[in-house]
Amino acid sequence: MTSDTPSSAPRQSKGRRQDRRGTPKVNTSGLYKRAVRDSFTKLDPRNMIKNPVMFLVWLGTIVTFLVTLAPDLFGPAAGKNPRLFNGLITVVLFFTVVFANFAEAVAEGRGKAQADSLRSTRSDTTARKVLPDGSIQEVSSTGLYKGDQIKVVAGDIIPADAEVVGGVASVDESAITGESAPVLKQPGTDISSSVTGGTRIISDELFLRVTSDPGKGFIDRMIALVEGAERSKTPNEIALTVLLVVLTQVFLIVVATMTPIAGYVRTPVSIAALIALLVALIPTTIGGLLSAIGIAGMDRVAQFNVVATSGRAVEACGDVNTLVLDKTGTITLGNREADEFIPVNGHSLQEVAATALTASIFDETPEGKSIVRLAEQLGAKAEVAPEQATGVEFSARTRMSGTDLPNGSEIRKGAVDAIKGFVRSRGGTIAPDLDDAYERVSRLGGTPLALCRDGELFGVIYLKDIIKPGIKERFDQLRRMGVRTIMLTGDNRITASVIAQEAGVDDFIAEATPEDKIEVIRTEQAKGKLVAMTGDGTNDAPALAQANVGVAMNSGTQAAKEAANMVDLDSDPTKLIDLVTIGKQLLITRGALTTFSISNDVAKYFAIIPTIFAAAGIGALNVMRLGSPDSAVLSALIYNALIIPALIPLALKGVEFRPLTANQLLQRNILIYGLGGVVAPFIAIKIIDLAVSPFL
Amino acid sequence: MKLATKLPTKSSVLSFLPPSTQVLEETAALLSEARRQKIPVWVFLGMCFNLVVAPMVQAATGETYSRGQAWAIGILGLCTLVVSVYLFVVMFQPERF
Repeated sequence: MTSDTPSSAPRQSKGRRQDRRGTPKVNTSGLYKRAVRDSFTKLDPRNMIKNPVMFLVWLGTIVTFLVTLAPDLFGPAAGKNPRLFNGLITVVLFFTVVFANFAEAVAEGRGKAQADSLRSTRSDTTARKVLPDGSIQEVSSTGLYKGDQIKVVAGDIIPADAEVVGGVASVDESAITGESAPVLKQPGTDISSSVTGGTRIISDELFLRVTSDPGKGFIDRMIALVEGAERSKTPNEIALTVLLVVLTQVFLIVVATMTPIAGYVRTPVSIAALIALLVALIPTTIGGLLSAIGIAGMDRVAQFNVVATSGRAVEACGDVNTLVLDKTGTITLGNREADEFIPVNGHSLQEVAATALTASIFDETPEGKSIVRLAEQLGAKAEVAPEQATGVEFSARTRMSGTDLPNGSEIRKGAVDAIKGFVRSRGGTIAPDLDDAYERVSRLGGTPLALCRDGELFGVIYLKDIIKPGIKERFDQLRRMGVRTIMLTGDNRITASVIAQEAGVDDFIAEATPEDKIEVIRTEQAKGKLVAMTGDGTNDAPALAQANVGVAMNSGTQAAKEAANMVDLDSDPTKLIDLVTIGKQLLITRGALTTFSISNDVAKYFAIIPTIFAAAGIGALNVMRLGSPDSAVLSALIYNALIIPALIPLALKGVEFRPLTANQLLQRNILIYGLGGVVAPFIAIKIIDLAVSPFL
Repeated sequence: MKLATKLPTKSSVLSFLPPSTQVLEETAALLSEARRQKIPVWVFLGMCFNLVVAPMVQAATGETYSRGQAWAIGILGLCTLVVSVYLFVVMFQPERF
């Protein structure tokens, strides 16, 4: 990260974006209609074969359809009206598959709607390509490739993701981030040197070097990811799929061997009833909702304006044990606050306060306003009314700002060395106590701004770091979740320890170099921990690559963005905390619904098996007192089918995340989804049986 | 005379074999795991034994089937076997799906 540099340049505050989304409002009209249509097109066996559990249900539907057409296909047909019974089972199984496809289609539809709204921020524009001989050629933005140099001027839409190589300009990034305040972009810095395609230049001009080929920019990657085009199963999904397949295999073997045993004990069971039993036993609920949960998780990350390279990166967020965070801009506000005026050169505090106030009357930045507030608290008054003076704006070149008085006097404040240069240029000398004041402020970890009038130094303004409000509570939350926080800063140890204690981090490393960052990550990983970190500078790239979860700021360098596995388009370092929450929520949702799905089986055993094998003497286990074997089977199947769409909202929204310890979470989820999964089907199946029995 | 050559290890032998022997490697890993986890293996073998005795149990029920029904049951059994193989493939190579 950058070292503390004195600046009163405009710097945008990037607060938490819980309540506002960076992407334009998503248009979900027609979503459900399209999802219903897609539910049927997904019945294609080439698609169904990717979901083993639902594929088995699909095959079972075909077999029951065959026995509906020919009830004695596999043996003598039993029951009053086998064709009706088999037909009803076929219909219920068909809708079970359709509902599972519907869940996936809704999740994909929401992702596509999000992708469409992201696409609307992109448009083919005309770009000014700078040729090797320096001339300008107008080309389409789709014809720009990595390495091309382009020029953009005020009012232009930036045609592609690029790195600033020349010029300084303000850029409106609201199309991507929703943040309306412009961001200063300039070359050669670790921050603010990247621009994203689709954003607009507001002032001045920039020379850019394109950093991605057409269709490969960050927004394009985000579009592909939320659309699901590039989504592959994550390790957690794969592991869960294997578990579900093992259960399915076991139940398939059991049911396959049941016919001869049932016949031997004089309770023959029809093929349709056996298939119904198989479908009731296999974990169809989680089998049908698994992909929807994964897609919804990726969409949630995109809603936070984060581009993830893969679902694996999002899941890794949920397993993170250690967060490595920078101080400035992450734990503390990027905007500092004036805390003290330090007089130098024999001036009094009142004089310094009055001069500082006069120098800041045109300064609209948060730092400038805090200087005005502090001066007014000390009873200072501006020497002149704003209408009578002329403001001098901050610029990256001069690194100072101020006020020109009507009598010709020039008051300036800014970087110490810049003010020294100004004073010398006006024929003044540098007071010896300036450096002492500068060092004192530096030792406290603050930012010193020197203050002068023409060739005379007046004092130093101490800008203090402010801990972000609410950050301590967030770190407490993370601690309860078992996540350890480590603060890294280039500040000295005293300042770092004060900030660390105030912010409530678990550990800190002061005077950290980029090598220290990698070392911290490696040390934690050697202990078996998963580490997440944020960064934006080129010097952060190795650490971002080393970390299990690396989140680069969009305003950072290309090297940082390439090294990371996530890019935050809002350039908000605290987003890492939100990502950990999203990752954990994804894993918790999967676990909760898997628990619920497997718990449901208990009630389904009690529904189907006692009624089918009642003649074998286990009729007493029919605790629900279901009407008949046919109604019991149908009721269980209908419940099995209806629970899938009933749980779609939970799958898409995710289980509500609570910052509890692992044990507390486990107890809570077992109680709600485990016990609830056992009890709920008993009630539901009985109600359905009461409705269905009269007709069978 | 004592042989100075080192006995070939499993990995050194397998490294000379073509990549398709990944299946053999996985089978070897499964067998070594099976030696450690005996109960699940016995439960699984018990279930498979059910499959072996199922035709005999069916024969003992005394039910009779027509030729068409016998063919249908046979085809259904074959399809069940194919599905079972598919499920095993998913278990061992889930990333393909």
